[in-house]
Amino acid sequence: MEYLSTEKILIIDLASSAVEEEELEESLVSEKIGGIGITKYLYEKFENDDPIVIGCGLLTGTTYPASASGVITAKSPATGKLAHCPITYKVGVEIKFSGFDYIVIKGSAATPSYLWIHDGVADICDAADIWGKDVWESTEFLRELVGDDLLQTIMIGPAGEKQSDYAQVCYNHWNSPDRFGFGKAFGTKNLKGVAFRGMGLIECADVEDYVSRSLEILKEVKANDFLSKQGIAELASAIGEENLTDWLAPITHRHSADYFTPYATITALFMDEDPKIVEETKVAEPGILTSDIYALIALKKAGFSAEDAGRLLRETAKYGIDPLAVVELSGKTSLDDCTAAFDGLSGSLALKGKGIFSSWCPARPIFNDFGLSGDDAEAIAWWERRQAVAGIFGIQPLFALMCPELSEENMLELASLGTEIDLDQDLLDAVVAYVCD
Amino acid sequence: MSLRLLCLNCAGPLMTTTKVISKIGIYAGGGTSHSWLWFVDLFENKGLHTLAFLNENDVQKGLDDLDVLVISGGDTFAVAEALGPSGADSIGKFVHRGGLYIGSCAGAYLPMKSSKKPLDLFNFVDVKITNLSKILPATVKESLKFCTSYGCDFIFHPVREEISMKSSNSVLPFCPLTFTAPLYGGPGMTVTDPSLVLATYHEFTTHTSFLVSEALAGEILLEKAAVVRVPMGKGLFYLFGPHLEHPKYPLANQFVSDIIRWETKPLECPESPASFSHREITPLKELSGKKKKTFVMDIKRELSNSRIVAVNLEFLPIRWMIGKKVYEPEKVRVFLESMWSRIKSLERIDRLRVFSGDLETIRAVSIKVTQGLRRLKRAVDDNQDSLGEATKIFSWLQQLSMAFYTMYFFTLTHKDNQPPPSV
Repeated sequence: MEYLSTEKILIIDLASSAVEEEELEESLVSEKIGGIGITKYLYEKFENDDPIVIGCGLLTGTTYPASASGVITAKSPATGKLAHCPITYKVGVEIKFSGFDYIVIKGSAATPSYLWIHDGVADICDAADIWGKDVWESTEFLRELVGDDLLQTIMIGPAGEKQSDYAQVCYNHWNSPDRFGFGKAFGTKNLKGVAFRGMGLIECADVEDYVSRSLEILKEVKANDFLSKQGIAELASAIGEENLTDWLAPITHRHSADYFTPYATITALFMDEDPKIVEETKVAEPGILTSDIYALIALKKAGFSAEDAGRLLRETAKYGIDPLAVVELSGKTSLDDCTAAFDGLSGSLALKGKGIFSSWCPARPIFNDFGLSGDDAEAIAWWERRQAVAGIFGIQPLFALMCPELSEENMLELASLGTEIDLDQDLLDAVVAYVCD
Repeated sequence: MSLRLLCLNCAGPLMTTTKVISKIGIYAGGGTSHSWLWFVDLFENKGLHTLAFLNENDVQKGLDDLDVLVISGGDTFAVAEALGPSGADSIGKFVHRGGLYIGSCAGAYLPMKSSKKPLDLFNFVDVKITNLSKILPATVKESLKFCTSYGCDFIFHPVREEISMKSSNSVLPFCPLTFTAPLYGGPGMTVTDPSLVLATYHEFTTHTSFLVSEALAGEILLEKAAVVRVPMGKGLFYLFGPHLEHPKYPLANQFVSDIIRWETKPLECPESPASFSHREITPLKELSGKKKKTFVMDIKRELSNSRIVAVNLEFLPIRWMIGKKVYEPEKVRVFLESMWSRIKSLERIDRLRVFSGDLETIRAVSIKVTQGLRRLKRAVDDNQDSLGEATKIFSWLQQLSMAFYTMYFFTLTHKDNQPPPSV
């Protein structure tokens, strides 16, 4: 598998400390394409070892618009089913740049460990210095240890170490789309987290045409009016939910986007410093980044001020726990009460569709209607297909719901152009059916 | 560090043919910076694989087994200090008996006649420096690299980056008519005998960076010697002002390899196993299978760890004055990337040949480099002094590179790793 790929699958056995590599065969890509098509295949291959599979979409890290995401595929401790959680922020692309397309993590470590994946090297490291630390402390510790301020991490906090059903894997410092309790899956393996960094290059067949075609598609995308908007509050309004805009405005500092994604799905909230001041922050931790629409909606409905909502999101990010679970299952309405309830949660959150894809992502189109009639069943079926396609190709899952210009047709076109493998609609239909089964 | 010669196709009794080879020593010891790595790339690309990597002790002990000695850029005074009287003596004897000396930039200044200590130990070549002055001219661009002190005088650098040369001699039939190469502090030269000049500085290009007025730069450099060829005894000094070995200048690189092939009359390689002219050599190990894979992964791990920190340092506004030379963080990665680019080759081959001393050096020093770089970053982040750490790191990088390349070329030239003969 020469193009759009590192050509490598990493197999790590935490129990024996064995680290092996397999070649990513072109035949596998021809059959399962990439992303969740292959992570599901690898999960099934190693199912007896209760694996966690981390992977990239086929287009992740290229010039295709919004080709930002990776995925975690594992059995959800919360639902008992196989589920796929998108890897967002800049973490998804770093996986591929660090030298592997797919990482299979089997077994459980005898003592707390973390994985350090860098430039095609995979090290199982002793996590004694960070076990017991929160997500922020752990990420900062590793960044200082390796001397890299841009180290990307998937990390658990105390919730995962304690194997809470609501433990979330966090990306760098921030809450993630994990509604599946994958933090517990990490914790049961004595796996504190995975750190990624690399300076790998991705080879592309016919690179000039690939880039040129990517830019054409990007131009079509940019014709959308919604790109004049930004941030999480606009997303909430677009899906007909609570108006978060006025509520968040006093503490909104800025918006940012995942890799090469035209819409800024991430909002930075400053609770402890005036967000209007344009200078280097004087406060160590003035705020948070968030892309969790439903957690914010729940917090507003529960009567939280925006500042306290932000502070609670900060505490959930540090603790490594699903903020929506905290708000909805605790029934608490104050910052202190919610924080005190982290370890005492019970109950379950509603799933969407078959519960394969994260309910962090709205189960409907955003900004564009994609020609849907408004029927709920139709919307769910459409949503699951759209999430499946985004997961296969590595498209930012929120943006995939916004932009009909990112069509299955042009994803297949670019994938075929970039890999020189003939990937067609029939194959995609088959892989979608496979992952949605 | 022992001097070991890596003999192409001299690996064992099964060899049936002899090849004529040039034995090239590259000085990478005290006072050198990173530009000797460019010679490594050049020689590898041109099939000149019989290389030895020398520190000052190796030079001082004698250069009897070499055909060519290459000294590239760095701090000329520090190079002279490191080599000392016995190093100077070795070089003098080497050239007298027929050796070819190639000096680029600092290596070009080194053998020139000078009253300045310790350069006065050398005094082999009667060449005048045109960019030498008692009074510094006005600069048009602030640069820590504008000048260095030279006793009571200054060597100043009118330009940096690319400059165009023109051939001026018919001694060498292969000398390109015009070619470009970068100038990073090397000399403009004049000689009394014009037949010694092979190429002159001809004109500036759009990539030339002026540190003085263009008019003054023209006065100092244009029509002055850029490449000279000076006989001494049975041997020759080739002095390059610009870095003809720079990897982005293929025409200049070809000129260098043609010089070596034209000028050296190397000994034929004997059929018997290699007769090294070595001192204190450590046992030779051949690694294959899992041991080889583990060793290469160990190197890869530390090079990756080091590269990651090094990239971070490049974002920071810092540089260090080590001796008379300015070192930026980018120079760390020149060493690391040079080795990193060869890791895939080492992963692909079946057998690695490495002296046990080098095996331990590579393992230990690669870890030291990673740890040192991480300490350096913390020091810079905390606004603490980092010069001491930086000085150690650059020294370790030299040591690591020398051991790495000794292993690399020894492995490369093993008969088992040679490409099959073309039909």
